[in-house]
Amino acid sequence: MKPRLVLAAVLVAAALPVLAHHSFAAEYDEKKPVTLKGVVTKVEWMNPHARFYVDVKDEKGTVVNWNFELASPNVLTRNGWTRKSLQVGDEITVSGSRAKDNANLANARQITLADGRRVFAGSAEGEGK
Amino acid sequence: MRLTFLGVVVSALLCAQAPTSPAGLGGNQRGLPELKGPTPRLADGKPDFSGVWIGGGPVGDLALGMPKGEAIPLLPAAAELMKKRQSKDDPEANCLPTGIPRTAPYPWTFANGSFGNGSGNLYMLFEGNIHSYRQIFMDGRAHPKDLNPTWYGHSVGHWDGETLVIDTIGFNDLFWFDFRGHPHTEQLHTTERYTRLNFGTLENKTTIDDPGAYSKPFTITFNARLMPKGELMEYICQENNQDVNHIKGPAGTP
Repeated sequence: MKPRLVLAAVLVAAALPVLAHHSFAAEYDEKKPVTLKGVVTKVEWMNPHARFYVDVKDEKGTVVNWNFELASPNVLTRNGWTRKSLQVGDEITVSGSRAKDNANLANARQITLADGRRVFAGSAEGEGK
Repeated sequence: MRLTFLGVVVSALLCAQAPTSPAGLGGNQRGLPELKGPTPRLADGKPDFSGVWIGGGPVGDLALGMPKGEAIPLLPAAAELMKKRQSKDDPEANCLPTGIPRTAPYPWTFANGSFGNGSGNLYMLFEGNIHSYRQIFMDGRAHPKDLNPTWYGHSVGHWDGETLVIDTIGFNDLFWFDFRGHPHTEQLHTTERYTRLNFGTLENKTTIDDPGAYSKPFTITFNARLMPKGELMEYICQENNQDVNHIKGPAGTP
Protein backbone atom coordinates (compact mmCIF):
# COMPACT_ATOMS: atom_id res chain seq x y z
CA MET A 1 0.00 0.00 0.00
CA LYS A 2 2.74 2.43 0.84
CA PRO A 3 3.72 3.39 -2.70
CA ARG A 4 0.16 4.44 -3.32
CA LEU A 5 0.17 7.13 -0.68
CA VAL A 6 1.79 9.51 -3.13
CA LEU A 7 -1.28 9.40 -5.31
CA ALA A 8 -3.11 11.76 -2.99
CA ALA A 9 -0.71 14.51 -3.96
CA VAL A 10 -1.23 13.83 -7.63
CA LEU A 11 -4.84 14.97 -7.42
CA VAL A 12 -3.68 18.56 -7.24
CA ALA A 13 -2.20 18.30 -10.70
CA ALA A 14 -5.48 17.42 -12.33
CA ALA A 15 -5.97 20.81 -13.94
CA LEU A 16 -2.56 20.91 -15.55
CA PRO A 17 -2.33 19.96 -19.20
CA VAL A 18 0.48 17.58 -19.96
CA LEU A 19 2.04 17.69 -23.38
CA ALA A 20 3.04 14.73 -25.46
CA HIS A 21 5.29 13.99 -28.40
CA HIS A 22 2.31 13.79 -30.70
CA SER A 23 -0.82 15.79 -31.35
CA PHE A 24 -3.52 14.69 -28.90
CA ALA A 25 -6.31 15.45 -31.34
CA ALA A 26 -4.68 13.41 -34.10
CA GLU A 27 -5.01 10.22 -32.08
CA TYR A 28 -7.88 10.74 -29.62
CA ASP A 29 -11.34 12.21 -29.90
CA GLU A 30 -12.50 14.30 -26.97
CA LYS A 31 -16.04 13.80 -28.23
CA LYS A 32 -15.73 10.09 -27.60
CA PRO A 33 -15.50 9.94 -23.82
CA VAL A 34 -15.33 6.48 -22.30
CA THR A 35 -15.73 5.39 -18.71
CA LEU A 36 -14.94 1.74 -18.11
CA LYS A 37 -14.67 -0.50 -15.09
CA GLY A 38 -12.41 -3.49 -14.99
CA VAL A 39 -9.31 -5.22 -13.77
CA VAL A 40 -5.78 -4.16 -14.65
CA THR A 41 -4.07 -6.96 -16.60
CA LYS A 42 -0.75 -5.33 -17.50
CA VAL A 43 1.21 -2.16 -16.83
CA GLU A 44 3.85 -1.03 -19.33
CA TRP A 45 6.17 1.47 -17.69
CA MET A 46 7.74 2.42 -21.03
CA ASN A 47 8.31 5.37 -23.36
CA PRO A 48 7.01 7.39 -25.02
CA HIS A 49 3.88 6.70 -22.96
CA ALA A 50 3.23 4.48 -20.00
CA ARG A 51 0.26 2.21 -20.65
CA PHE A 52 -2.00 -0.06 -18.75
CA TYR A 53 -4.40 -2.68 -19.99
CA VAL A 54 -7.79 -3.43 -18.47
CA ASP A 55 -10.13 -6.39 -18.90
CA VAL A 56 -13.60 -4.93 -19.28
CA LYS A 57 -16.84 -6.94 -19.58
CA ASP A 58 -19.15 -5.62 -22.27
CA GLU A 59 -22.96 -5.74 -22.04
CA LYS A 60 -22.98 -9.34 -23.34
CA GLY A 61 -20.51 -10.44 -20.72
CA THR A 62 -17.65 -10.78 -23.16
CA VAL A 63 -14.31 -9.68 -21.77
CA VAL A 64 -12.51 -7.11 -23.88
CA ASN A 65 -8.98 -5.93 -23.17
CA TRP A 66 -8.54 -2.14 -23.39
CA ASN A 67 -5.28 -0.25 -23.84
CA PHE A 68 -5.00 3.04 -21.91
CA GLU A 69 -2.31 5.59 -22.63
CA LEU A 70 -0.79 7.69 -19.86
CA ALA A 71 1.86 10.41 -19.94
CA SER A 72 5.51 9.43 -20.21
CA PRO A 73 6.99 7.57 -17.23
CA ASN A 74 9.10 10.66 -16.51
CA VAL A 75 6.09 12.97 -16.30
CA LEU A 76 4.31 10.46 -14.10
CA THR A 77 7.38 10.12 -11.88
CA ARG A 78 7.64 13.89 -11.53
CA ASN A 79 3.97 13.90 -10.52
CA GLY A 80 4.54 11.35 -7.80
CA TRP A 81 3.68 8.10 -9.56
CA THR A 82 5.76 4.98 -9.38
CA ARG A 83 5.51 1.94 -11.61
CA LYS A 84 3.65 0.32 -8.72
CA SER A 85 0.97 3.02 -8.47
CA LEU A 86 -1.26 0.85 -10.61
CA GLN A 87 -0.83 -2.89 -10.29
CA VAL A 88 -2.03 -5.97 -12.09
CA GLY A 89 -5.24 -7.12 -10.40
CA ASP A 90 -6.34 -3.64 -9.32
CA GLU A 91 -10.04 -3.04 -9.82
CA ILE A 92 -10.44 0.39 -11.30
CA THR A 93 -12.81 2.73 -13.05
CA VAL A 94 -11.07 4.72 -15.73
CA SER A 95 -12.34 7.60 -17.85
CA GLY A 96 -10.73 9.12 -20.88
CA SER A 97 -10.99 9.84 -24.58
CA ARG A 98 -11.24 7.01 -27.10
CA ALA A 99 -8.96 6.65 -30.10
CA LYS A 100 -10.28 8.19 -33.31
CA ASP A 101 -9.96 4.84 -35.10
CA ASN A 102 -12.32 3.20 -32.57
CA ALA A 103 -9.71 0.70 -31.42
CA ASN A 104 -10.07 -0.45 -27.83
CA LEU A 105 -7.61 2.27 -26.98
CA ALA A 106 -8.09 5.45 -24.97
CA ASN A 107 -6.14 8.24 -23.40
CA ALA A 108 -6.74 7.89 -19.66
CA ARG A 109 -7.79 11.06 -17.91
CA GLN A 110 -8.79 9.84 -14.51
CA ILE A 111 -8.55 6.58 -12.64
CA THR A 112 -10.53 5.66 -9.55
CA LEU A 113 -9.24 2.82 -7.43
CA ALA A 114 -11.59 0.35 -5.80
CA ASP A 115 -11.36 2.19 -2.47
CA GLY A 116 -12.63 5.38 -4.09
CA ARG A 117 -9.40 7.32 -4.41
CA ARG A 118 -9.24 9.19 -7.68
CA VAL A 119 -6.05 9.52 -9.63
CA PHE A 120 -5.03 11.97 -12.31
CA ALA A 121 -3.71 9.99 -15.22
CA GLY A 122 -1.52 12.55 -16.95
CA SER A 123 -3.16 12.55 -20.31
CA ALA A 124 -1.51 13.72 -23.47
CA GLU A 125 -3.23 16.97 -24.18
CA GLY A 126 -2.67 20.67 -24.33
CA GLU A 127 -0.72 23.43 -25.92
CA GLY A 128 2.34 25.14 -24.57
CA LYS A 129 4.19 28.27 -25.27
CA MET B 1 10.25 15.84 0.30
CA ARG B 2 6.57 15.29 -0.10
CA LEU B 3 5.88 18.89 0.84
CA THR B 4 8.43 20.15 -1.63
CA PHE B 5 6.80 18.17 -4.38
CA LEU B 6 3.39 19.48 -3.44
CA GLY B 7 4.77 23.00 -3.50
CA VAL B 8 5.91 22.55 -7.06
CA VAL B 9 2.54 21.32 -8.15
CA VAL B 10 0.63 23.97 -6.25
CA SER B 11 2.76 26.82 -7.51
CA ALA B 12 2.53 25.52 -11.06
CA LEU B 13 -1.22 25.22 -10.71
CA LEU B 14 -1.66 28.70 -9.30
CA CYS B 15 0.32 30.17 -12.10
CA ALA B 16 -1.39 28.17 -14.77
CA GLN B 17 -4.38 30.31 -13.83
CA ALA B 18 -2.41 33.53 -13.54
CA PRO B 19 -1.41 34.74 -17.00
CA THR B 20 0.55 37.61 -15.47
CA SER B 21 3.45 35.24 -14.91
CA PRO B 22 5.47 35.12 -18.13
CA ALA B 23 7.06 31.83 -17.15
CA GLY B 24 3.77 30.18 -16.33
CA LEU B 25 5.10 29.49 -12.85
CA GLY B 26 4.85 31.21 -9.54
CA GLY B 27 7.66 31.47 -7.09
CA ASN B 28 9.12 31.19 -3.67
CA GLN B 29 6.76 28.71 -2.13
CA ARG B 30 8.01 26.01 0.16
CA GLY B 31 11.61 27.15 -0.16
CA LEU B 32 11.75 27.22 -3.93
CA PRO B 33 13.69 30.01 -5.66
CA GLU B 34 11.85 33.21 -6.50
CA LEU B 35 11.23 32.72 -10.19
CA LYS B 36 10.68 36.41 -10.84
CA GLY B 37 13.91 37.19 -9.01
CA PRO B 38 17.00 38.60 -10.68
CA THR B 39 18.96 36.76 -13.36
CA PRO B 40 21.76 34.84 -11.64
CA ARG B 41 25.29 35.68 -12.74
CA LEU B 42 28.63 33.96 -13.06
CA ALA B 43 31.74 35.26 -11.29
CA ASP B 44 32.63 37.29 -14.41
CA GLY B 45 29.24 39.02 -14.41
CA LYS B 46 27.81 37.14 -17.40
CA PRO B 47 24.31 35.73 -17.04
CA ASP B 48 24.22 32.16 -15.78
CA PHE B 49 22.10 29.92 -18.00
CA SER B 50 22.40 26.92 -15.69
CA GLY B 51 19.32 25.03 -14.76
CA VAL B 52 16.85 22.66 -16.28
CA TRP B 53 14.45 24.33 -18.69
CA ILE B 54 11.23 23.35 -20.32
CA GLY B 55 9.79 24.93 -23.46
CA GLY B 56 11.34 27.81 -25.36
CA GLY B 57 10.06 26.92 -28.82
CA PRO B 58 6.93 25.94 -30.70
CA VAL B 59 5.16 22.69 -29.84
CA GLY B 60 1.70 22.76 -31.41
CA ASP B 61 1.76 25.90 -33.55
CA LEU B 62 4.64 28.08 -34.73
CA ALA B 63 2.21 30.99 -35.19
CA LEU B 64 1.81 31.32 -31.40
CA GLY B 65 5.32 32.81 -31.34
CA MET B 66 4.57 35.54 -33.90
CA PRO B 67 4.03 39.17 -32.91
CA LYS B 68 0.32 39.93 -32.50
CA GLY B 69 -1.43 40.49 -35.80
CA GLU B 70 1.42 39.16 -37.94
CA ALA B 71 1.03 36.11 -40.15
CA ILE B 72 3.71 33.61 -41.05
CA PRO B 73 4.91 34.53 -44.57
CA LEU B 74 4.42 31.07 -46.12
CA LEU B 75 5.19 30.73 -49.82
CA PRO B 76 2.42 29.03 -51.84
CA ALA B 77 4.40 25.80 -52.34
CA ALA B 78 5.10 25.54 -48.63
CA ALA B 79 1.42 26.16 -47.86
CA GLU B 80 0.49 23.36 -50.27
CA LEU B 81 2.98 20.97 -48.68
CA MET B 82 1.57 21.81 -45.25
CA LYS B 83 -1.95 21.00 -46.43
CA LYS B 84 -0.86 17.56 -47.63
CA ARG B 85 0.90 16.59 -44.42
CA GLN B 86 -0.63 13.87 -42.26
CA SER B 87 -0.24 13.80 -38.48
CA LYS B 88 1.02 10.22 -38.53
CA ASP B 89 4.05 11.38 -40.54
CA ASP B 90 5.13 14.00 -38.00
CA PRO B 91 8.75 13.05 -37.28
CA GLU B 92 8.25 13.83 -33.62
CA ALA B 93 5.37 11.36 -33.33
CA ASN B 94 7.76 8.85 -34.90
CA CYS B 95 10.42 9.47 -32.23
CA LEU B 96 12.67 11.49 -34.53
CA PRO B 97 14.34 14.77 -33.52
CA THR B 98 12.56 18.11 -33.29
CA GLY B 99 15.19 20.05 -35.23
CA ILE B 100 15.16 23.83 -34.64
CA PRO B 101 13.25 25.83 -33.37
CA ARG B 102 10.68 23.21 -32.31
CA THR B 103 10.73 22.07 -28.71
CA ALA B 104 9.23 19.04 -27.11
CA PRO B 105 7.50 19.17 -23.75
CA TYR B 106 10.51 17.61 -22.07
CA PRO B 107 13.23 19.24 -20.01
CA TRP B 108 16.59 20.28 -21.43
CA THR B 109 19.72 22.01 -20.20
CA PHE B 110 22.81 23.79 -21.45
CA ALA B 111 26.10 22.03 -20.76
CA ASN B 112 29.51 23.62 -20.99
CA GLY B 113 32.13 21.54 -22.75
CA SER B 114 35.08 23.04 -20.90
CA PHE B 115 36.50 22.49 -17.45
CA GLY B 116 36.79 25.93 -15.93
CA ASN B 117 38.45 28.09 -18.56
CA GLY B 118 35.16 29.20 -20.07
CA SER B 119 36.31 28.93 -23.66
CA GLY B 120 34.63 25.68 -24.47
CA ASN B 121 31.78 24.78 -26.70
CA LEU B 122 28.21 24.59 -25.50
CA TYR B 123 25.88 21.67 -25.70
CA MET B 124 22.15 21.49 -25.33
CA LEU B 125 21.05 18.22 -23.79
CA PHE B 126 17.50 17.12 -24.41
CA GLU B 127 15.57 14.60 -22.32
CA GLY B 128 13.16 14.18 -25.19
CA ASN B 129 12.00 14.06 -28.00
CA ILE B 130 14.42 12.52 -28.72
CA HIS B 131 17.06 11.84 -26.07
CA SER B 132 19.71 13.82 -27.94
CA TYR B 133 21.98 16.86 -27.96
CA ARG B 134 23.07 19.88 -29.95
CA GLN B 135 26.65 21.10 -30.22
CA ILE B 136 27.35 24.85 -30.42
CA PHE B 137 30.86 25.96 -31.29
CA MET B 138 31.84 29.04 -29.26
CA ASP B 139 35.44 29.36 -30.46
CA GLY B 140 34.83 31.88 -33.22
CA ARG B 141 34.94 29.45 -36.12
CA ALA B 142 32.81 29.96 -39.22
CA HIS B 143 30.35 27.45 -40.66
CA PRO B 144 32.10 24.97 -42.98
CA LYS B 145 31.27 25.00 -46.68
CA ASP B 146 29.12 22.29 -48.26
CA LEU B 147 27.65 20.87 -45.08
CA ASN B 148 25.85 17.58 -45.25
CA PRO B 149 22.30 18.29 -44.17
CA THR B 150 21.40 17.15 -40.63
CA TRP B 151 18.52 17.41 -38.13
CA TYR B 152 20.24 20.00 -35.92
CA GLY B 153 22.54 21.53 -38.52
CA HIS B 154 25.85 23.22 -37.73
CA SER B 155 25.75 25.78 -34.92
CA VAL B 156 28.17 28.55 -33.96
CA GLY B 157 27.52 30.82 -31.01
CA HIS B 158 28.69 34.02 -29.36
CA TRP B 159 27.60 36.36 -26.59
CA ASP B 160 25.97 39.68 -27.46
CA GLY B 161 25.90 41.37 -24.05
CA GLU B 162 23.27 39.54 -22.02
CA THR B 163 22.22 37.36 -24.91
CA LEU B 164 23.55 34.07 -26.25
CA VAL B 165 23.30 34.10 -30.04
CA ILE B 166 23.32 30.79 -31.93
CA ASP B 167 23.55 30.78 -35.70
CA THR B 168 22.72 27.52 -37.49
CA ILE B 169 22.72 26.31 -41.09
CA GLY B 170 23.14 22.90 -42.72
CA PHE B 171 19.69 21.54 -41.93
CA ASN B 172 17.90 18.68 -43.61
CA ASP B 173 14.28 19.30 -44.61
CA LEU B 174 12.86 16.33 -42.69
CA PHE B 175 11.65 17.85 -39.43
CA TRP B 176 8.48 19.88 -38.92
CA PHE B 177 8.28 23.12 -36.94
CA ASP B 178 5.13 22.03 -35.04
CA PHE B 179 2.16 19.65 -34.93
CA ARG B 180 0.62 21.70 -37.76
CA GLY B 181 3.44 20.74 -40.07
CA HIS B 182 5.00 24.11 -40.88
CA PRO B 183 7.71 23.12 -43.36
CA HIS B 184 11.15 24.33 -44.33
CA THR B 185 13.84 23.54 -46.88
CA GLU B 186 17.57 22.87 -46.72
CA GLN B 187 18.04 26.62 -47.19
CA LEU B 188 16.87 27.16 -43.59
CA HIS B 189 19.05 29.48 -41.53
CA THR B 190 18.12 30.08 -37.90
CA THR B 191 19.40 32.71 -35.50
CA GLU B 192 18.41 32.03 -31.91
CA ARG B 193 18.82 34.73 -29.27
CA TYR B 194 18.56 33.44 -25.69
CA THR B 195 18.19 35.93 -22.84
CA ARG B 196 17.56 35.00 -19.22
CA LEU B 197 14.94 37.63 -18.41
CA ASN B 198 14.77 36.71 -14.74
CA PHE B 199 15.54 33.75 -12.52
CA GLY B 200 12.80 31.56 -13.93
CA THR B 201 12.48 32.69 -17.54
CA LEU B 202 14.72 32.15 -20.54
CA GLU B 203 13.51 33.98 -23.62
CA ASN B 204 14.25 32.57 -27.06
CA LYS B 205 13.78 34.83 -30.06
CA THR B 206 14.44 32.81 -33.19
CA THR B 207 14.70 34.34 -36.63
CA ILE B 208 13.75 31.91 -39.37
CA ASP B 209 15.21 32.70 -42.76
CA ASP B 210 14.28 30.18 -45.44
CA PRO B 211 13.70 31.61 -48.93
CA GLY B 212 12.64 28.14 -50.04
CA ALA B 213 9.53 28.14 -47.85
CA TYR B 214 8.93 31.70 -46.57
CA SER B 215 8.78 34.98 -48.49
CA LYS B 216 10.83 36.87 -45.89
CA PRO B 217 12.64 36.21 -42.61
CA PHE B 218 10.45 36.34 -39.50
CA THR B 219 11.07 36.11 -35.78
CA ILE B 220 9.19 34.03 -33.25
CA THR B 221 9.42 34.37 -29.47
CA PHE B 222 8.91 31.60 -26.94
CA ASN B 223 9.87 31.52 -23.29
CA ALA B 224 11.42 28.53 -21.59
CA ARG B 225 10.63 28.21 -17.91
CA LEU B 226 12.92 26.95 -15.21
CA MET B 227 12.12 23.63 -13.58
CA PRO B 228 13.24 24.35 -10.02
CA LYS B 229 15.46 21.56 -8.76
CA GLY B 230 14.87 19.84 -12.08
CA GLU B 231 16.94 16.92 -13.27
CA LEU B 232 17.07 15.21 -16.63
CA MET B 233 15.83 11.65 -16.79
CA GLU B 234 16.24 8.88 -19.35
CA TYR B 235 13.64 8.95 -22.11
CA ILE B 236 13.94 6.49 -24.96
CA CYS B 237 10.99 7.33 -27.18
CA GLN B 238 11.55 4.40 -29.52
CA GLU B 239 11.04 1.62 -26.99
CA ASN B 240 7.26 1.25 -27.21
CA ASN B 241 5.87 3.81 -29.64
CA GLN B 242 2.37 2.59 -30.49
CA ASP B 243 0.91 5.99 -31.32
CA VAL B 244 1.58 6.28 -35.04
CA ASN B 245 -0.57 3.24 -35.78
CA HIS B 246 -3.59 5.11 -34.43
CA ILE B 247 -2.91 8.68 -35.50
CA LYS B 248 -5.36 9.82 -38.15
CA GLY B 249 -6.00 12.81 -40.33
CA PRO B 250 -4.19 15.86 -41.61
CA ALA B 251 -1.64 17.71 -39.53
CA GLY B 252 -3.36 20.58 -37.87
CA THR B 253 -5.01 20.44 -34.51
CA PRO B 254 -2.52 20.48 -31.67
